[in-house]
Amino acid sequence: MTGIIDFIIKLIIWPPLFQLVLLPGLVTALVVVIFIIWFERKTAARVQMRIGPYHISPRLGGFLQLIADLTRYAFQEIIVPRTVDRAVFIGAPLTALVLSVVPVVAMPMTDIPRYFPIPMDYSLIISMGLTTLSPIFIVAAAWASNNKFALIGGMREAFVITAYELIFIISGLSAGLAVLSYNIVDIVEAQAPFYKWILFTNPIAALAMYASILMSTSGFPFEIPEAENEIVAGAFTEYSGLMYGVNMGSAYIKRFVYTLLFSLLFLGGWAPYTPQPGFIAGYLIPAVIVVVKATIVMATISFLRAVYGRLRIDQALDGAWRIFIPIALAGLLLALLEAYMGVYA
Amino acid sequence: MPGKVVEKKTPKQTLLTAITGNVGAILVGLKYFVNPNRFTLKYPYEFIELDETYRGFIILELKKCIGCMSCARICPAAAMKMVKIQVEGKKRPMPVPVINYNRCIFCGYCVDVCPTEALAHLPVHDVVYTNMEDMVLDVDGFQKLVDTPAKDEGVPVKYVFDPERGLVKVPATRG
Repeated sequence: MTGIIDFIIKLIIWPPLFQLVLLPGLVTALVVVIFIIWFERKTAARVQMRIGPYHISPRLGGFLQLIADLTRYAFQEIIVPRTVDRAVFIGAPLTALVLSVVPVVAMPMTDIPRYFPIPMDYSLIISMGLTTLSPIFIVAAAWASNNKFALIGGMREAFVITAYELIFIISGLSAGLAVLSYNIVDIVEAQAPFYKWILFTNPIAALAMYASILMSTSGFPFEIPEAENEIVAGAFTEYSGLMYGVNMGSAYIKRFVYTLLFSLLFLGGWAPYTPQPGFIAGYLIPAVIVVVKATIVMATISFLRAVYGRLRIDQALDGAWRIFIPIALAGLLLALLEAYMGVYA
Repeated sequence: MPGKVVEKKTPKQTLLTAITGNVGAILVGLKYFVNPNRFTLKYPYEFIELDETYRGFIILELKKCIGCMSCARICPAAAMKMVKIQVEGKKRPMPVPVINYNRCIFCGYCVDVCPTEALAHLPVHDVVYTNMEDMVLDVDGFQKLVDTPAKDEGVPVKYVFDPERGLVKVPATRG
C-alpha cells in the first residue's frame, strides 16, 4: 500500500509531469486564467464607470461568476454542423489547447538540474519554438469550419501571428544575446541583482515583446482574429458550448505561457529568491514566484483592455511591420552592444 | 450668408505624439482605476428619486370626477375609456374613466385637461404586470396606489453633475 502511495507521489513530483500538469502547467494556468478573466472584467468595469460581475457573490466581488459561466459552458450542447470536417473541427481546438501549454516543459523553474523537466542548454530556443505550434491549429479549426467568417478569422490569425511571432522571437532572443547564452537558467541567474533585470537594461526589447504578447494572443481590444463586431466570432464562429470555451481558454493559457517566458527573460525569473536544496525550497517556491510575476504581467495586459480601442487588421499589420519590427531590431542591437560591453559578463 | 470654407487639418503623427498619446491614455485609465466613479444603479436596492411633477402612472380620485369625458376625448392613444357605473350619491349611472396601460403613452393630456383635478400623476414608473389583462384597469384599480417594491424597500438616489468628475450618483433624502 505504502509502495503505491510512494509511487503516486513520485509520479506527481516527477518534473516533466509536475511542470506540464501542475505548477506552471495546466492546473495553475486554469486557476490564473479564471482569476485574470475576473480581474479583466472588474478592471474594465472600474475604468468604464460600471460595477462588473457582482450579484452572484457580492462579498467576493462576483468572483464566482466565472465558475458559473464555466458550468454553463460545460452543460451547453456541443453542436457539430453537418458541413464541417468533423475530425479536424473537434481535434484542432483540443490540440491547440494542449500545444499552448507545452512550452512550459522547456522552461526551467529553478536552477537545480534535478528539477528540470528536460535538462538542456537551448531551452530559450526550444520554448520559443514550441510557442509557434498552436496557432496552426487555430487556422486549421477555422478552415475545417467551412464558414466564410471563420475563414476570414483564420486568415487574420495567420497574418497577425506571422507578423507578431517574428517580433516575439527577435525580442526574446535579444535577452539571450545580452547574456550570451540560450539557457534560461543562465539568463535568470545573470539578472540576480534587481537593477540588472533585462527589463531595465534593455527596455526596448521588453516593450517589443510585451506588445507582441498583447497582439499574438488576441487579448480583448486586439482580438483581431475574433473581432466580434466585424466577423461574428472569427475563427470560432461555428463552435458552441465547451468547444468555444476551450478555444477561449487556450488563448488565455497561451498568454499565460508567454508571460511566464516574459517574466523569466525580462523580470529576473525567481530573482529575489535563490533556490535552496529540497523540493519545496528548491522547486515549489521559485516556481510560485515566477507564476506570480507572470500573473502581474497578465494583469497589466488586462488593464490595457480598458484603455485601448480596437485596431483594424491593416493597422495591426502596419504597426507590426513598420513600427515594432524596427523596435525589436533596435532591441537586438542594444543587446548586442551590451554583450560587447560585457554588462552581464 | 454661406459659411466659410475652412481647411481641416489633422494633427501630424510623430513619434512624440505617439508616445504622449499612449502614455496619456494609460494615465487616464489609471486615474479611473485608482479612483473609480461608478454610477450603476443597483435597481431593486436603489431607485432614482423622481420629481413630484413626474409624468408617471395616473390615479383617479372618484369623488372629484364629474364624468365630463374630456380625458377620454383628448387621449391620443385611445388608452382612456369611459364606463358607466353607479356612484354613491348619484341617481343615475355616471360615466367614469378607466385606463388601459397597454396603450397609454404617459403624455399627461388627461391630467392637464381634467377640469376638477380628479386625475393626477404618481411619481412612479416602474410597475410590473404579469399578463396583458392586468394592464387594463377597472375603476377600483384606477383609484389604487400602484405597488412599488423598489420604492418601498430601496434607497433613493439621484444623479447630479459634478464639474470635476462628471455625472455622479449621490443618495437622495426621502421627502
